[in-house]
Amino acid sequence: MNALEIEDITKRFGDFYAVKDLSLKIPQKMIYGLLGPNGAGKTTTIRMVMNIIIPDKGSIRVLDRKIDEEMKERIGYLPEDRGLYPKMKVGEHLFFLSELKGLRGKEARKRIDFWLERFDLTDWKLKKVEELSKGMQQKIQFIATVIHDPELIILDEPFSGLDPVNTKLLKDIMLEMKKNGRTIIFSTHRMEQVEMICDNICLINKAEKVLEGNLSLIKKQYGKNSVVLDYEGDASFVQGLPEIEKIDDYGKSMEIKLKEQTDPQELLNALVGKIRITKFEVMEPTLNAIFIDKVGERDAKDTVSY
Amino acid sequence: MQKILSVIKREYIQIIRTKGFIIGTILGPVLMAAFIVVPVVVQFIAVDQQEKIGIIDETGEIFMGLEQKLDQKLKDGTRRYLLINYPLKDDMEALKEELNQKVLRKEFSAYIFIPENISGDGEAEFVSEHVSDFDKRGNFNRALSSIVIEKRLKGEGLDPKRISEYMRPVALVTKKVTKRGVERDAGGTFIISYFLVLVLYMTLLFYGQIILRGVIEEKSSRVVEIVLSSLKPFQLMAGKIVGIAAVGFTQYAIWALFGLAASRYSKKLLTGFFPAAASFPMPSIPSYILVYFVLFFILGYFLYATMYAAIGSMVNSEKEAQQLIMPIVMFLVVPILLMMFVIKSPDSTFSVVLSMIPFFAPILMLLRICILLPPFPQIATSIILLILSIVLMIWLVAKIYRVGILMYGKRPSFGEILKWVRYS
Repeated sequence: MNALEIEDITKRFGDFYAVKDLSLKIPQKMIYGLLGPNGAGKTTTIRMVMNIIIPDKGSIRVLDRKIDEEMKERIGYLPEDRGLYPKMKVGEHLFFLSELKGLRGKEARKRIDFWLERFDLTDWKLKKVEELSKGMQQKIQFIATVIHDPELIILDEPFSGLDPVNTKLLKDIMLEMKKNGRTIIFSTHRMEQVEMICDNICLINKAEKVLEGNLSLIKKQYGKNSVVLDYEGDASFVQGLPEIEKIDDYGKSMEIKLKEQTDPQELLNALVGKIRITKFEVMEPTLNAIFIDKVGERDAKDTVSY
Repeated sequence: MQKILSVIKREYIQIIRTKGFIIGTILGPVLMAAFIVVPVVVQFIAVDQQEKIGIIDETGEIFMGLEQKLDQKLKDGTRRYLLINYPLKDDMEALKEELNQKVLRKEFSAYIFIPENISGDGEAEFVSEHVSDFDKRGNFNRALSSIVIEKRLKGEGLDPKRISEYMRPVALVTKKVTKRGVERDAGGTFIISYFLVLVLYMTLLFYGQIILRGVIEEKSSRVVEIVLSSLKPFQLMAGKIVGIAAVGFTQYAIWALFGLAASRYSKKLLTGFFPAAASFPMPSIPSYILVYFVLFFILGYFLYATMYAAIGSMVNSEKEAQQLIMPIVMFLVVPILLMMFVIKSPDSTFSVVLSMIPFFAPILMLLRICILLPPFPQIATSIILLILSIVLMIWLVAKIYRVGILMYGKRPSFGEILKWVRYS
């Protein structure tokens, strides 16, 4: 059984295709990354999965069933447009959202206390939501998403607005949930987040699927002919070297794709003495490079924004 | 169902707790009582000071009569008006000027000039700093008139006592006939109808605004999609509307208790201070009117609440909502404007038709019920029409709400809204 099966869905808003002929199969018990630039169609896809928007055509099966209200208790959904009632107290807000997920009384209270402790928010339980920082509110929203221990967790841009410490905390929790047999689907436009935790990915661009599959397999397909180079000095001459197929230059660091059958040592030889090299690593291409390769420089621009 | 209950509970508790609700609930009856009691009390209090009034009597015959007629006493037994007769002078203008100064220096609260030809077409003058004191002016006018009229009658050789007996107006008692018999009505019906209709109008407006604000808050705080991850838009809307209705009932219940206590003790209290109040009949509200009042509140509430919810879901801010709610507010204001007409002729075709139109029915049918209890088929028809339009409205609004609640940015045009209704 797949956690999610999407078949050939399309959604149009007027003349604009938000999602076009998209099919996906997401197996259970893994972390699945839905990637793409802003406006690619990730949120629309997720909203269709959650039955908030109805697709113009195609079918969606969640946990091997058509989604209905009862289903929603088995899913945890963190929307991209998210917020909380500003005047409610943290504790009662979480209690209200737990009730909506079918949790009652003592059990709900126990879980709320557990999660507040876990996110170091116990002292804020009796404070009003509006007194919390944005990051704290994000954590409360995440707690509300997983409080009923759902089988399938769908997170739309879960890391946006979190500082590095909380980003790590959230990643750890996601990995732990996977270990406990849960399926997590999340969308992002930040590639480096995906590389660290995803098993499978799907790249979406301009409403259409560009690439899908197991992340390490995809990388292997691209072969070990990439070099990451950290340097000091003027490296503009590198562009003209014969070994090079493509460069993404970030100023102090560049990712280089070599032509096939090229020995990285030749490149190193060509560089020595001309610039100061602080790091030279031969590796599989980063997801960034793959993405740029797939969707083209211009489309990728707003995605690769470090 | 369990989920709707959770939403109802949340709405109810959150609003009951706000300062606005607590203040409004307590202040409502206090203000209402103040409107009734304060003017009465003020009138009794304000008299408690003797006023000096100068009199220039050119005829020399009227002062005595005035002093006899204006013999109201203050609490301590002294006269309310201390009249001071001014001897005439050759230069009348100088005398008037002297008295003007006394009024300005507040030695006198007023003075009265009575010309020689007052029995003919002469005009008396009442000069004061505060000419808007109708009560005082009325007292003097009446006293002066009756003295002058007596004088005129005597001049013609007629007996003023007999004439005033002939001139006594006919007594006209107002009685209201209903199916249960004939009862005396001293304007109580009018006051009650007016009062109930205004309460209905204000609460419909007030609770509509609360719904509007609630929906906009859910949108602008972006909480709505989180809530909708566990329930349907319709459940959220229904829970909100019912929850706020419960708030309305709580408020009514508190007010009813106030009212009950007031009608039980207020008369005793009032007559204790002011014996005169005993003659004022305390209006009582027949129970069938209360039943209809509650019924029309519920129906009116659901009709207007759904409309307010629809508008809340279409906009991004309260400011944007203000233009869109104008038509709804008009629906509520129109019956208030037509109220006087309906009170005057509650049985005319125009009134009957108006009270059948669902948007006006809650206010105008209730008004007609208060005034004359229309035939039951008319009441039933208006109730059925109301229920039908509520069902239609909920069906329509649910579709608008479902789409609108997740739309941010530009306010949708009328055409777009039609599209939502057709496709969702």
